[in-house]
Amino acid sequence: MADREIMYREALREAIDEEMGANPEVFIIGEGIAERGGSYKVTEGLLAKYGPKRVRDTPIAEAGMIGVGVGAAIAGTRPIVEILYVDFAMLGMDMIVNQAAKFRLMTGGEGRVPFVMRTQGGAGGGVAAQHSQSLEALFYHIPGLRVVMPSTPADAKGLLKHALRQSDPVMFLEHKHLYMTKGPVPEGEHVVAFGKGAIRRQGKDVTVIAWSNMVQRALDAAEDLAAEGIDVEVIDPRTLVPLDEDMILASVAKTRRAVIVQEAPRRGGVASDIASIIQDKAFFELDAPVTIVAGLNVPIPFNLTLEAASVPQKDDVVGGIRRALHIGPLAAAAE
Amino acid sequence: MADAILVPQVGQDLTEAKIVELHVKEGDTVKKGDMVAVVESEKASFEVEAFVEGVVISLPFQVGDWATVLEPLMHLGQPGETLVAGPPAEPKAAKPPPTAASEPAREKTVVPLAVDPVKAVSKKTSLTVVPAAGGARVVRSSPVARVRAAAHGLDLAAIEGTGPDGAVVLRDVDSVLVTGGTGVLSTPSAWGGADLETRILRQGEGVPILFIHGFGADLSSWRPMVGALGIGCPLLALDLPGHGGSRGHGAADFDALVEAVGRAAAAAGRDGIHLVGHSLGAAIAAALTERGDLDTRSLTLLSPAGLGPSIDGAFVDGFLAARSEAALAAWMRRLVHDPASLRGALVRATLAAREDGGLVEAQKRVARGVFEGSTQLFSIREALARLGVPCSVIVGREDAIIPATETEAQVPAQVALYRLPRVGHLPQIEAADLVQTLIARTVRSAG
Repeated sequence: MADREIMYREALREAIDEEMGANPEVFIIGEGIAERGGSYKVTEGLLAKYGPKRVRDTPIAEAGMIGVGVGAAIAGTRPIVEILYVDFAMLGMDMIVNQAAKFRLMTGGEGRVPFVMRTQGGAGGGVAAQHSQSLEALFYHIPGLRVVMPSTPADAKGLLKHALRQSDPVMFLEHKHLYMTKGPVPEGEHVVAFGKGAIRRQGKDVTVIAWSNMVQRALDAAEDLAAEGIDVEVIDPRTLVPLDEDMILASVAKTRRAVIVQEAPRRGGVASDIASIIQDKAFFELDAPVTIVAGLNVPIPFNLTLEAASVPQKDDVVGGIRRALHIGPLAAAAE
Repeated sequence: MADAILVPQVGQDLTEAKIVELHVKEGDTVKKGDMVAVVESEKASFEVEAFVEGVVISLPFQVGDWATVLEPLMHLGQPGETLVAGPPAEPKAAKPPPTAASEPAREKTVVPLAVDPVKAVSKKTSLTVVPAAGGARVVRSSPVARVRAAAHGLDLAAIEGTGPDGAVVLRDVDSVLVTGGTGVLSTPSAWGGADLETRILRQGEGVPILFIHGFGADLSSWRPMVGALGIGCPLLALDLPGHGGSRGHGAADFDALVEAVGRAAAAAGRDGIHLVGHSLGAAIAAALTERGDLDTRSLTLLSPAGLGPSIDGAFVDGFLAARSEAALAAWMRRLVHDPASLRGALVRATLAAREDGGLVEAQKRVARGVFEGSTQLFSIREALARLGVPCSVIVGREDAIIPATETEAQVPAQVALYRLPRVGHLPQIEAADLVQTLIARTVRSAG
């Protein structure tokens, strides 16, 4: 099937549009998503097509929005709740953590919560500490939640369509930098199941595991290192829960080295957990300590220079890969 | 051994529980799952179950008593068994009285355990190789390097590490495994001026030691030796013509072998050299020293050829003809006194080396040049008799390849002779520690 290039936000809109068209139980609520078409233009045109009952603006009240979504899901519909910044999802954490994540288990599997929270995170553009966080670790930590972090338009579409067809609560975490990026998306039906990673670049010397906005950064670093003859494999897990451990472990068994790149702060992050899985299940395959390249343990500063310094940049990834290969840093020619 | 049923933790911050019901007494038999007691805290009561079968052999409490949580409530055992004071599974004796605050006491018992390993680790971090108790060495290495080295029978201590802090990493192991490969070593791995395959097994300071292997082996056979030698000088090895990476070298009689090795030794030892040889390699070392153009400082000869006339011709033929691992192992077992000392890895490595064509043919050519049936065509008797440098001859009394009695009979008086009981033709394997000591002693005796 021929691929065409569309934007990440367009791919998301296609997924919502197609699933709303196919399933009358799917609806979407959020701040400014109906009349305005959403801050990132993901929901543009949906109000006209599906009407105000299924495409509904809400007040600025995240706790209420998430509560409505979780309740509606328990009642048998398929809500999408768009939260403008993942930072604001904290207002709804009780509904997410104590209700949505637990309901299936506590009802012996009889109750299901097909609740999809679409939101976006990440630093970029000087939106400061309360609009820049990468909070996937909070959701990753809670059993019962699915955590999805698409890095490409094709995955954004395919994973969102899958999210709207399965029956567990999904934290669908987009990245504010990615909405305008373009990429090939197959024509027609395109669904990506959870738990299957993608090898973004084949390599034999070192495995880099990155998700969301860090995938492109890892690919850029790999490109730089290819000039030195270093052959980097880049793996994008696409969903953190469920995690494609098999793909990661197979790659590490091949390259003997793992570098995990996350935008979120280092402490208590998903990278640490993936590192622990690798050392547990592939210890005797390793030729170097597992390296983590992560954000600093600081609130993201407003100042753009400091913001860039707080999250991994391409050179940080290059440095991490070189450490994993026991190669010293290049002479600091730039300094 | 008695099993303790513990007083349950009845609340997060409570240290004692009141016993409100007891359903058993000493001597009763209980089954797994039986309710044996009920204890109560301020908030709730808890039923206590037996989790194993047994007879109640100790029950020091009565209803109404207060008991410390997580301490034994009762003990179950075999009929007739009595509770032994302070059994290993019963921590009561080591603990303070129940009235004492337990937290600080627990910390005290933990602290020494936690501190010692930390100290030990911090001592290690600055060292590449740490001699451990008993003379064994701890080598920093990556997990996969250990696995790979073990799979090929390599001694990590013999491999130069190029990883962080000198750790042996995969590329170091692989560079050893790839015969003739350049590897990624940060230091030169060979020396120039020789038309033989040469290898620097370990860098060092001072007069180098050159190791010369015997018929049918190659330089890799010395690797297990170098890490444990305890001498700081450079350790060098070469592949004899017709062997290892020198299989294409055409030298095929004794004089030609000596000539080829002499050129390599001269290039490596302009300021003197110590020679260690095994079997045919020992004879070459002795002949080189006799020639006088090399500044040989000492000689250590392991199971030297060229002293008596005999060699096991059937072994040479069978060894060269063997094509399967089983056949090769059958012949190679003749090299040692104790068959268990011949590691499968050595047999497999020998067989694997033959996979590249030409090796067996090259060795047959050498064999025709130096042996005729069961006779050695060369002699080092006169060379040894005129020797002026420190020399040690080490023979295994059970050598089935070259009869030890013939060798011993020809060792002149000024040469030290070590006769090792229960050792065959490979003393460097069957008496590795002793041979290493004797090599070091011989080298040092040269000053």
